[in-house]
Amino acid sequence: MSDLMIGLMSFPALLLLIFLRVPIGLAMFLAGLVGLVIVTGDTTIPLARLKSETFGTFSNYSLSIVPMFLLMGYFATLGGMSQSLFKAAESWLGHRKGGVAMASVGACAGFGAICGSSLATAATMSRVALPDLKAYGYAGGFSTATLAAGGTLGILIPPSVVLVIYAILTEQNIAKLFLAAFIPGILAAIGYMIAIAVYVRINPENGGKTRERIPYAERLRALFDVWPVLLVFFLVVGGIYLGWFTPTEGAAVGAFGTGLIAWLAGGLTRDTLSESFYVTARASAMIFFIVLGAAFYNGFLALTQLPQEAAAWVGASGLSPWLILIIILVFYLLLGCLMDSLSMILLTIPIFWPVMQELDFGLVSMVELQSSKLEALAASGADVSATLLAEAQAILANGQELTREMTRELGLRGVNQGALNRVNIEYTAIWFGILVLIVVEVGLITPPVGMNLFVINAMDKKTSMVETYKAVLYFVASDLVRVVILVAFPFITLALVPL
Amino acid sequence: MHIFFDRLARTFARLGGFVLGFLVVLTCVSILGRSVNTILNGDLFQSIMPGFSAALLNTGIGPIKGDFEIVEAGMAFAIFAFLPLCQLNGAHASVDIFTSKLDLRSSRLLRAIIEVVFAAVLVIIAWQLFEGLQTKRNAGETSFYLEFPVWWAYAVSLFAAVVAAIVSIYVAVMRVLESVTGNRVLPPELEADH
Repeated sequence: MSDLMIGLMSFPALLLLIFLRVPIGLAMFLAGLVGLVIVTGDTTIPLARLKSETFGTFSNYSLSIVPMFLLMGYFATLGGMSQSLFKAAESWLGHRKGGVAMASVGACAGFGAICGSSLATAATMSRVALPDLKAYGYAGGFSTATLAAGGTLGILIPPSVVLVIYAILTEQNIAKLFLAAFIPGILAAIGYMIAIAVYVRINPENGGKTRERIPYAERLRALFDVWPVLLVFFLVVGGIYLGWFTPTEGAAVGAFGTGLIAWLAGGLTRDTLSESFYVTARASAMIFFIVLGAAFYNGFLALTQLPQEAAAWVGASGLSPWLILIIILVFYLLLGCLMDSLSMILLTIPIFWPVMQELDFGLVSMVELQSSKLEALAASGADVSATLLAEAQAILANGQELTREMTRELGLRGVNQGALNRVNIEYTAIWFGILVLIVVEVGLITPPVGMNLFVINAMDKKTSMVETYKAVLYFVASDLVRVVILVAFPFITLALVPL
Repeated sequence: MHIFFDRLARTFARLGGFVLGFLVVLTCVSILGRSVNTILNGDLFQSIMPGFSAALLNTGIGPIKGDFEIVEAGMAFAIFAFLPLCQLNGAHASVDIFTSKLDLRSSRLLRAIIEVVFAAVLVIIAWQLFEGLQTKRNAGETSFYLEFPVWWAYAVSLFAAVVAAIVSIYVAVMRVLESVTGNRVLPPELEADH
């Protein structure tokens, strides 16, 4: 049996293990270990890898963002920020039809800006919003569905734990990925609010009463109360983006900031601190074990040449890049109904990313690249003749590329075909990452096994699962429309990302 | 017996948590030091009160040297220290829609087998960590900035890795007992909190 065949055979074996309820990290670890033993014909190499790989994975500087973000999310819960966010959102949206539900989504989006996990966002906001939704007469299933969907904003709006893992796997810039997630995250919140507006019009009996209109002075005061959230968000995401600190340092600042707010609000006591450590401990250990298993499994796959072969095969097949992208996204939608987002990304990105790298979506043209480089050159105040600069700008404005002589005369660097390819690969990575993040999150709210649905439904004993299923379909539909829009118009995702 | 392992796992989770908290504070202090250093070295302070800023700079205000090496070593310990609680609470992510239809007997048998394999893997991990420690020690490898021997970091992690292996052996033995006797021994698993 060739190595390639062994690599291929490992997929069904791995899936069988996972479907037998073997923890996903352990399943990948075992598949990788056994695979390595078969391929190398010996236990020496896999064991030797273990000598440094476990420690290496657990001490990875980029990965240390993950426990820090988890701690930050829990501290944010303790700081009572969910309350002030909900109050602010309610004062602005509460008087509309379905307004309290819209406010829940808005508050989830705000909480997502300081929390990188979707279940934590959904669970925290439910504690605050469910009683209010009930008080205003919203149907149980609609309320739980709204919060389950709103929770997915936690992972889409930066900071996001899953996006950190994606960035590490594809060796991309975390700050740029966070920026790229911003507009799709806002679109998601708006999309959910539209879904709510549609739902309460089709099922008026399930929508609740509207609140009385609140004067603007009071609205502004409520908005002012959420300043700690805004401060932490801009400090963390802005600081990372502006290069004040590395993403890991940003996560530390965020954890410290939310911890301080929680302490000042009186939410941080001995007991809650211990509890926040336990929650962080369980989630971090789980995530790191999956990362370890994935590293082992992917090390084995790389040895079998499977990812390279798959990429070469797809590249040579002549299939349209768009078709391949759509197939991959549909695959994620289906798998997302069974598996959690992080495991799925760790399992599949090492295979799919080499494939995506081979595809050309023409996201950036040479003219665009040259224009941005020229702008940077002009802004840098370098010694360039003004007439030459004006001439180059005119050519580019006309939609034509600069000739090689011209770029040389201008001293313009990084505008050759190779540089263009690199930029395109980076943009593809960022765009693809956001798309994948969205489709795996749809899985969290897709019946029958969407994890968010279960967690939120469990918090409301009186509501049956079926009622939640029926209402959540409106949110799933809104998600799917957004995916189609983002696939069709890549520039929406890439608008904020600098070249 | 369960109370003992529960306390052990929770103690280690708190220990890891405190280390994590320490790393958070350390990183923030380092950023603060770096920022103050940059400001004091900046044009503004250098022109208005050069003596003052030089005096302050001489006290050594600046980023903590090699802070990320402490973060890396500390984080490895924290994650290993987090493992026992995750193991005891069965908090690892898994897919159970295909096995939820199994009868109790088969379900318990399956769980017992999985936990035994998991314990074996964690024992191998601890053992190889020890091997790795010896390799680093014999090679006399030191960290780049702080120049502390790398095996120190391994040793601290090994301590927690051994506890993780012991707790996982306990869980495995209990699950096998459950499967053989048909009685529930361990409390029900927690929902994963990711």
